[in-house]
Amino acid sequence: MIEVKGLSKTFGDKQVLKDISANFEAGVTSLIIGASGSGKSTLARCLVGLIEPDQGEVLYDGRDFVHMTTKERKTVRKEIGFLFQGSALFDYFTVRENVRFPLDILTDMTSKEKEMRVDSVLERVELTDAHALYPSELSGGMKKRVGIARAISPSPRYLFCDEPNSGLDPQTSIVIDALIQEITKENEMTTLVITHDMNSVIEIGEYIMFIHYGEKWWEGTNKEIMQTDNKEILDFVNASGMMTRKRV
Amino acid sequence: MAPFLFHLGKYFILMWRAFSRPEKLSIYRRRLLDEMVSLGLDSLGIIMVISVFMGAVITIQTAANIDSAFIPTYTIGFTTRQSTILEFSPTIMALILAGKIGSNIASEIGLMRVTEQIDALEIMGVNSSAYLILPKIVAAVLISPFLVIISMFVSIGGGYLIALFTDIVSVSNYEYGIQLDFRLYHVVYALSKSAVFAFIFTSVPSYHGYYAAGGALEVGKASTRGVVQSSIIILVVNYFITQIFLI
Repeated sequence: MIEVKGLSKTFGDKQVLKDISANFEAGVTSLIIGASGSGKSTLARCLVGLIEPDQGEVLYDGRDFVHMTTKERKTVRKEIGFLFQGSALFDYFTVRENVRFPLDILTDMTSKEKEMRVDSVLERVELTDAHALYPSELSGGMKKRVGIARAISPSPRYLFCDEPNSGLDPQTSIVIDALIQEITKENEMTTLVITHDMNSVIEIGEYIMFIHYGEKWWEGTNKEIMQTDNKEILDFVNASGMMTRKRV
Repeated sequence: MAPFLFHLGKYFILMWRAFSRPEKLSIYRRRLLDEMVSLGLDSLGIIMVISVFMGAVITIQTAANIDSAFIPTYTIGFTTRQSTILEFSPTIMALILAGKIGSNIASEIGLMRVTEQIDALEIMGVNSSAYLILPKIVAAVLISPFLVIISMFVSIGGGYLIALFTDIVSVSNYEYGIQLDFRLYHVVYALSKSAVFAFIFTSVPSYHGYYAAGGALEVGKASTRGVVQSSIIILVVNYFITQIFLI
């Protein structure tokens, strides 16, 4: 479980996060949604320590991440998997090496154990045949799946996905969404998905937090968001042209 | 002045982080070997081509500038050797490598920055500056003196070819000249400064790449800044090293 309490961040004279508080439960796919520039990626980056918040607390199962020492943070970071918007795969590594890398760095597994884990994770994301390819040889959807495989290979307790569907066609987006949700359930992970894709909201949004100009504007489930009369959310939903795709 | 001090401070902080204790030595060993191949062996070709022509040109120009009959022709060999060992091989090679390796390092690290690969390392708990920069610096510092030794031999060999195939200087006089008054200290001095230059042409572009922000255009600019600044710093440091250790 990740608890966020009163998180604020200012860049120069612009406050991008204003007193954000929320609870993200384990085994639940939580979505942070909002328009571009609303502060959702900044929030995710504050949560994992890539950006230092000005105020507030981030508790990973009760451990205050913001006020930890660098060494203590490393312990928590070993429990975090992060899928980046552009996948952020290491160009000079093959798919197999990319997925194995966190195991080399973070674990004391034997080489055989690592190989078995890589095989199992690649099988889970259905990329067994692509293990010897380099990122430049992969499609956008494959890159995302390798990104997911790399994120989950060290069995993290917390999974962050930043715009997992950006640049993907609707069908591939559904596959990626389903994969994220299944993995969350299978491993009882605390999963946060940062997105502005309303189709993802409908498909996998068990808990949704809507951010508007850096403020937590609304929270609820995917069923509740369809019934809200909140003007900003309605504008966001209408602007997205949602529900244009069908589950495949 | 303030921006200069800001960047200088940021550079030293980055170097401090880069030289902090690595997470897993086995990973770094592998990266060090990879970097030695990519920075060192891959530069061997260009070093040899430039060195052979450099030696040949020094020989011809020295001969062309000796007008007096009182100056013996073995001076040509002597001058070629001294110029090569003291200046051309360590300094010119460092400038060439600053262009080749420096731009490569800045663009590689810069691209990793803008494609969030560095963030990915940080989230995994990896000290990204140590993981990316340290192996490059250590590899270059270790391998650069060997490249310079090769450059010295090839450059003096280039002069030898001139002696062999032209009548500018006889082979025997050239051979006598290159052996005349040989001081090992000069080689040690040259190799030491080549190691210092290697530190500069890897660390400065690394700094610019590491803090690149934006897109491809900014990575290109970071690469250019890395090469230009490391070249200037090499020349300035070369002056001070020469002043301190050779006079």
